[in-house]
Amino acid sequence: MKPRLTLRWIVFAIAAFAMNFPVLATLITAFKPPGEVSRNPSLWIKAPTLENFATVLTVSDRLNVYHYLWNSSVAALIGALLPMIVAFPLAWAMVRRGTGRGVLFPLVVNLRALPLIIFAIPLYMMYSVIGLLDTRLGLGLILAVVNLPLALLMLVNAVAEIPAEIEEAAYMDGARVPRLLIKVVLPLCRPALITTFVFGFITAWNEFLFGLILTTRDAVPMTVGASFFFATSGGGVQWGTAAAVMVVAALPPLVLGLVMYRRISGSMVAGAVKG
Amino acid sequence: MTPGRSVENALLAGPLVLFLLAVLGFPTVLSLVYGFSETGFQTLTAPQFSGLKNFRDATADPTFWQAAWFSLRFGAITALLQCGLGLALAVYLAPLARAHGWTVAILIIPMIVAPAMMGLMYRLVLHEFAGPVPHYLYSWFGWSPSFLGPANVFKTVVVAETLQWTPFAFLLFLTACQSIPQDLREAAAVDGTRPWRLFWKIELPLMMPTVFVALFIRFIDGFRVFDNIYTLVGAGPGGSTTSISIYIYESFLRRGEIGKALAAAILLFATAFVLLSVAQRLLRGRAP
Repeated sequence: MKPRLTLRWIVFAIAAFAMNFPVLATLITAFKPPGEVSRNPSLWIKAPTLENFATVLTVSDRLNVYHYLWNSSVAALIGALLPMIVAFPLAWAMVRRGTGRGVLFPLVVNLRALPLIIFAIPLYMMYSVIGLLDTRLGLGLILAVVNLPLALLMLVNAVAEIPAEIEEAAYMDGARVPRLLIKVVLPLCRPALITTFVFGFITAWNEFLFGLILTTRDAVPMTVGASFFFATSGGGVQWGTAAAVMVVAALPPLVLGLVMYRRISGSMVAGAVKG
Repeated sequence: MTPGRSVENALLAGPLVLFLLAVLGFPTVLSLVYGFSETGFQTLTAPQFSGLKNFRDATADPTFWQAAWFSLRFGAITALLQCGLGLALAVYLAPLARAHGWTVAILIIPMIVAPAMMGLMYRLVLHEFAGPVPHYLYSWFGWSPSFLGPANVFKTVVVAETLQWTPFAFLLFLTACQSIPQDLREAAAVDGTRPWRLFWKIELPLMMPTVFVALFIRFIDGFRVFDNIYTLVGAGPGGSTTSISIYIYESFLRRGEIGKALAAAILLFATAFVLLSVAQRLLRGRAP
């Protein structure tokens, strides 16, 4: 039994190293002094430094990392909260009364499998007419669409797990539906709400395509902003700085995701299997 | 049902329906209108009906077919690789994952990193002068391939996509594997069944529905790929990594061919819709 377990650890180590290699290499490069990167591309740092992070966090006339972080935060908050708000009442009605089970549910859940690019062009045209182009709200709205299928799925599952007797007791006391939803159902769904929020926030933060198409300057999110660091300053890419900006961009979802990895992985599986 | 109740139900569904109509319904109508019209950025507000011209333009463009073929191949190959690797890892590492939950967290890190960031990270890792991969290949073997050159770029993006999303397949299979009752394995062990036979005769058949789901999800995601390829190589040398999503993006924003891009998007939507319905019919046919 023992040697077999050791072999499993070795396989785990190889898989973990191979799959996380780009992240690891980027993290290491971010701490190399600018001059060292091209002389020493190995995974060993000779003179560790925070210089690259200082460069990234310094506002220049072209690049402003705080601005990108703020845009991403606002857009991802809208993108994570809005689908929960619109899906929650429907999820309850679906479970308790079968509202929209036949058409609405499959329609929303299948949105997930569609290539998002097909909505990007008409949205661009619509946004340019109503003034939502290059705004955090405009970006947040489409991120909310991206998150809607999983939000609905997870809230439907959560409501279905609440025993109907609890709600009936509240009904007997004369509570109306809105009150029932807010006072009884909402608190009972809290774990699912937290998971949905975290998952939605990570998904929205990591989105790139809509940020690329729908924003140009004022609402550029972090993922798109990070790519600007690769196209900067005529003399080729500053790899140390570029690595540092990737660390900054990847950190918020990574921290959230690792703290809550059990919930995240659970919801990924649920989303895949129940769809 | 009382009339009061159906009004109430409509109110409960209202927010979601209105939201969908506003953010997706209206753009869908727009894309249909413009898809069948003569359009440029100058004549955006006055579309001229032009029938199927945009569709003829798109389907007459060899790049469109090249992109469709790329997406199909990319989706199929990456889905198979990810599911094969993910299944093997899940079954083999299941005992480890059961005893040490944190190992799962380490393995799913790539999924939490934005695909766009992953593409940029590969640009660093594979860079001729600054990248550790060519560096080690040179110092160990005195030779390193040109990863992003025309000969290798397809393999490179396939490997990058596979390494990032194998964790997803791994996670699905791990859950499926752990939900197989332990007594079944113990009973097999008592009967003297070898682990290899246990996998083929008991575990794999029980996990088959998950295999289909995982293959389908990974194929769809590979088929519509954009972020990581775009940030790693863009359209690729000679357009060799132009996926269908990249094709639509480039025709729209780079070349300003709105009508053609929309026609391609509508064709893509129709394909995805058909694929989805077929897959769901098949999956439903399996589940009793």
